Amino acid sequence: MKRWRTLAATLLACASMAAGAHNFHMGIADISYNAASGSTEVVHTYTGHDVEALLANLYQRRFDLGQEDSEAALRRYVEKQFYLVAPDGKRLRLNWVGMKVNADNVVIFQEIEHTRLAPATRIHNQLLIDFLPSQRNTLNVQNSGSIQTLIFDHQNTELPIR
Amino acid sequence: MTPRYLPLFLAALFSATAAHADDIFQRVLVDGSRLNQLGVADSANAGSVTQQQLAARTSYRPGELLEAVPGLIVSQHSGEGKANQFYLRGFNLDHGTDLRTSVDEMPVNQRSHGHGQGWTDLNFLIPELAMRLDYKKGPYAAAQGDFSSAGAASILYANRLTQGIASAGIGQNGFRRALLADSFDAGDGSLLYALEAQHNDGPFTQPDRYHKLNGVLRYSQGYANNGFNVTAMAYDASWNATDQIPLRAVQDGTLGRFDAIDASDGGKAQRYSLSGAWRQTTDDISSKVSAYVIANRLALFSNFTYAMDDPDNGDQFAQPDRRVTSGLEASHTWHRHTDRGSSDTTIGLQLQNDNIHNGLYHTRQRQILSTTRQDHIVETSIGVYGENSTRWSRSLRTVAGLRADAYRFDVRSDRAANSGQASDHLFSPSLSVIAGPWRETEAYVNIGNGFHSNDARGTTITLDPKTGEAADKVTPLVRSRALELGLRSAAIAGLQTSLSLYRLDFDSELLFIGDAGATEAGRPSRRYGIEFSSYYKAASWLSLDLDLAYARARSRGSDPAGDFIPGAIEGVAQLAMTLTPRGPWSGSLRLRYFGPRPLTEDNSVRSAASVGLNGRLAYQIDKTLRVELEGYNLANRRDSAIDYYYASRLPGEAQPVDDIHFHPVESRSLRLTLVKNF
Repeated sequence: MKRWRTLAATLLACASMAAGAHNFHMGIADISYNAASGSTEVVHTYTGHDVEALLANLYQRRFDLGQEDSEAALRRYVEKQFYLVAPDGKRLRLNWVGMKVNADNVVIFQEIEHTRLAPATRIHNQLLIDFLPSQRNTLNVQNSGSIQTLIFDHQNTELPIR
Repeated sequence: MTPRYLPLFLAALFSATAAHADDIFQRVLVDGSRLNQLGVADSANAGSVTQQQLAARTSYRPGELLEAVPGLIVSQHSGEGKANQFYLRGFNLDHGTDLRTSVDEMPVNQRSHGHGQGWTDLNFLIPELAMRLDYKKGPYAAAQGDFSSAGAASILYANRLTQGIASAGIGQNGFRRALLADSFDAGDGSLLYALEAQHNDGPFTQPDRYHKLNGVLRYSQGYANNGFNVTAMAYDASWNATDQIPLRAVQDGTLGRFDAIDASDGGKAQRYSLSGAWRQTTDDISSKVSAYVIANRLALFSNFTYAMDDPDNGDQFAQPDRRVTSGLEASHTWHRHTDRGSSDTTIGLQLQNDNIHNGLYHTRQRQILSTTRQDHIVETSIGVYGENSTRWSRSLRTVAGLRADAYRFDVRSDRAANSGQASDHLFSPSLSVIAGPWRETEAYVNIGNGFHSNDARGTTITLDPKTGEAADKVTPLVRSRALELGLRSAAIAGLQTSLSLYRLDFDSELLFIGDAGATEAGRPSRRYGIEFSSYYKAASWLSLDLDLAYARARSRGSDPAGDFIPGAIEGVAQLAMTLTPRGPWSGSLRLRYFGPRPLTEDNSVRSAASVGLNGRLAYQIDKTLRVELEGYNLANRRDSAIDYYYASRLPGEAQPVDDIHFHPVESRSLRLTLVKNF
């Protein structure tokens, strides 16, 4: 998990450098089942610049991502644009664990307590996609051994897992 | 690297090295309250004030929020509720002439206004909704038209609030204020509401009894850069006014500093607006359309000369103004990206129509005695502009613009001789060259033409309605020309400084005639000025602001009367300290120096300086509850908010007397506010 996050952060940093002021926008998320706790953990990584621009355009003011009010504002947005729907059509309860901010990225932690994702669970991921038309979110699901990669973009905002 | 990362990595490496030129996307420093404008602003004098800084300001009245613009002074010469008095860059801007102000993309200046050209009544402003204040000084931006020669300030309201606000304030001199504001999801968008009620008497012998009710309702969808909003606003206020009083009467003990002479002075104001804005932004283009309809109604009773013209009834006069202003603004920008830099080309259209009924009446105790003049004015304008901003290399940018404005004035006066139509047009080119940044320092050269419109009634006048004598028409659109050199630096960590040197010429100066209560087109003028502005984030918990400005304003052409411009501001200074330590306490102190001004053209009479010290102390009780104590004029100085020099006659005086007339700054007062977030 830690290795994956390091890689994700590196990739996003590369993307930032290559893309100058972000003509290309990307985000990475990782969903994995933690056998020790019995919970499913979700980790999102987005570039700080994109998240700042998102909040600035949502609230018409600048946010310092280290401040408490920015976490509340971002949480409200994330919980609206990212959710999981069980095969029976019910939304899974996704807890907000917290967020970390470094010089380049924002890392958001969520979890679904005491739950393992059932096959055919649908993932709705419109994070930043509603804001940036060229946003692409790569999501890796590690539920039972093999890793499944889903790509979310303007055309694909809700996809099922195997 | 596993194959599933490869496409991502390749995409990252080979993605276009494109840059969003839209300012919405600019990477800015957010650790300071003033945004770092390096690489962003087109002149050293331009800036953007964040919501955090606006919230930390101590403002006696909403219009004082504009004092976040370095070098700008906002004061009051009458009762609360009347438009404020503004000073900037060597101008006494009267009630807003030559300072273009907009709130939420709606113009605030009222042209051909009953009391003063460019009347800027900001009392409908709700500071808690203000998310950003952008300012520019000088006529160097093609998008800014009428009234922007000294400067332009734009306040943007929120589409959403991060938390609801319930605020209750109480203070000395009859101050009471309550505010409730929140936003919530509605349909596919968000609904924001704000309700404000306020009462204030001020320190005056006859209480102002300023009472206002104010509301905002906004629906928005999407984002500021991709979305739309529709907003309704309503504001209603009434007040008594303590107008300026003669110094001689205070010095001989006949009047107290806070006494009024005509107790029936005062007014009522209403403002209702419906506006909408739509904006679309992609990597290559951005488009914006906004439209508004504003209904304003003002009743204003003033008496500046007391009993000079009519010893029996007194000189009170009424200047009612009722208008509907409608307008549309549209702009489209193309962003082009090259290997070396980028280029933005913007075209814009601005349409405005004012349907105005105003007049000038001689009154007593607010009852009309006679009509001096009464007019129905239709003033229509169209402005089109094009502007190109190009970054030629890492160290060179240019901004070149051309603006064309055409005005049509249709005046139907109660005297046929003063009725008629007039029209005028002019072109305003502008050019800015920006070199740098080198070591976090940029240099600017700005050159540009601007203008202000004159009162429509002056464009068709033939007979002075008061004397019946022949009167000259005024030039409808008056040209200004400006040149500026600037420097901005953030070379020292935490310190942002800017320095501007400018020259500003006007073909005709708009002057406030104190004893007539009107503005008059005057002589050509020239101003030289220097401005220094700095913001220092000394520590994470301490920031310091220092703004200094000096201007030399003179009329051009020889006239035995002299070449000083009455009321023109010279020196201004502001020193502010904001403390935000960890823990529940925070505070700020702000010292404002408003230097002496010439009050006559020969400079034989000058005003004294005004110095104000305001402070704010806040305590965060818990996560959602805060208490704030604000203090105004903490040194309790007995200065003037404004001074004029003209002749007046008090009841009982045999002859009119030339004298200084002043309005006092409010005495020391405290306000306590409890703020609950939900």
